[in-house]
Amino acid sequence: MSLQTHRAASGFLLPSIHSLPPFFTLQPNPSTQAIQTQHWTRLILSYARHRRLFFLRVEDCEVAGSEWDEIFRNDRINRRLHPSHLLSLMESMVSQNMAVYEPPKQARAVILHWRLPEEWAEVLHEWVTSTGQLNTIMTFFEITSPPVESPLSGVPITVLRRALTVLGKTGRGQVIDGMEGGGVRFFPGTGKS
Amino acid sequence: MQRRGPGLAAFERQTQSLASYAQLSSSITKSQVAHLHSQLSHFRTQLSHFAVTHRQQILKDPAFRHQFQRMCADIGVDPLAGPRRGGWWSEVLGVVGDWQYELGVQIVDICVSTRERNGGMVEMGELVRLLTKLRGGGEDVTEEDVVRSIKTLKPLGAGYEVVQVGGTKMVRSVVKELDVDGAVVLGLAQETDIGGRVTEDLLVKRRGWEYARARAALENLLLRDGLCWVDEQDEDDRSFWLPSALTWEE
Repeated sequence: MSLQTHRAASGFLLPSIHSLPPFFTLQPNPSTQAIQTQHWTRLILSYARHRRLFFLRVEDCEVAGSEWDEIFRNDRINRRLHPSHLLSLMESMVSQNMAVYEPPKQARAVILHWRLPEEWAEVLHEWVTSTGQLNTIMTFFEITSPPVESPLSGVPITVLRRALTVLGKTGRGQVIDGMEGGGVRFFPGTGKS
Repeated sequence: MQRRGPGLAAFERQTQSLASYAQLSSSITKSQVAHLHSQLSHFRTQLSHFAVTHRQQILKDPAFRHQFQRMCADIGVDPLAGPRRGGWWSEVLGVVGDWQYELGVQIVDICVSTRERNGGMVEMGELVRLLTKLRGGGEDVTEEDVVRSIKTLKPLGAGYEVVQVGGTKMVRSVVKELDVDGAVVLGLAQETDIGGRVTEDLLVKRRGWEYARARAALENLLLRDGLCWVDEQDEDDRSFWLPSALTWEE
């Protein structure tokens, strides 16, 4: 029997392992489970990157109709990911800093880091520079919801703050206290100290 | 000189004759040997010329390579043996030795990277397919080439071995003995209509086992050996999938 990749409606290419029925069962053998978790993690993060999804909740696999149906369900083989399995995957991603529980102190919802804060920092600084907004004061809202869609559109504030922390370290961004909703001023620089 | 009696003279004559005969026989041997030397020298030149002229073909064409290696075997030359440093054998036949070695490295590469999903057992046909793909699909790699290369890996002590499971050749890359029942399950998994998915029922029906034996064999493959994945959403029965019996599109 041959396992194939599959192009989903959104254009995402599902890997062959997604067509393997036991992929949707949490494997009892620890080594096999480790491999399985690795595959699921890679799949979740690359799907999130493809669709620009930042939030993942246990509910996303409990009922059909979520943004994640394409990966948490495979109707061709009649399999779906169980919530308990997703909880365990989320835990694994958090422990590897690929996700963060948001809001904190619970374990049913995360923000996904399909980009490292360092990568977001570069993307952000590049965008600010190329749109001629260096040295001006910007609100967080102007960054995450600009009139013209940008690489940072829709980015959650927590992710933005992390990127700003990175820029702050190299003097390329300074958060301004007291501004409602948050504000920042960007400065030129390459980030190499 | 006064003629001596029959005893001593005869003895002397005999000794002289023997010496003459000895000289004659060693000169025959010498000339034969010299002839052999010159023949070998001529042959050596020819073989060297042949290998160099046909180097590309040896590397690219499996049928040609096979013939060349057969010829070497016929004259008692092992292209893989012999001193690697210096010497004309390694120069001439290093062509083939290197090729074999490079293939061995690629086999290890593929076995290691697929070990995760198949537990260290890969079907020969699948390995050949992946090798061909890895090498850019240009040249043909045959099963025979793989078997030969795996022999060169033996000194690595990593357990690379060609094993027969059911009716299929598999390449094992872990030093793990597959127990007899496990081998039967793997063999069943490879049957065309089974397609890698085995259940207790199938083992009972197709191999005449008791349920307890089937359950034990599958549990061992799953938990002890890490050679299969379990599917608990299967409509009929808890099923066990053996990745080594499947082909994967990358």
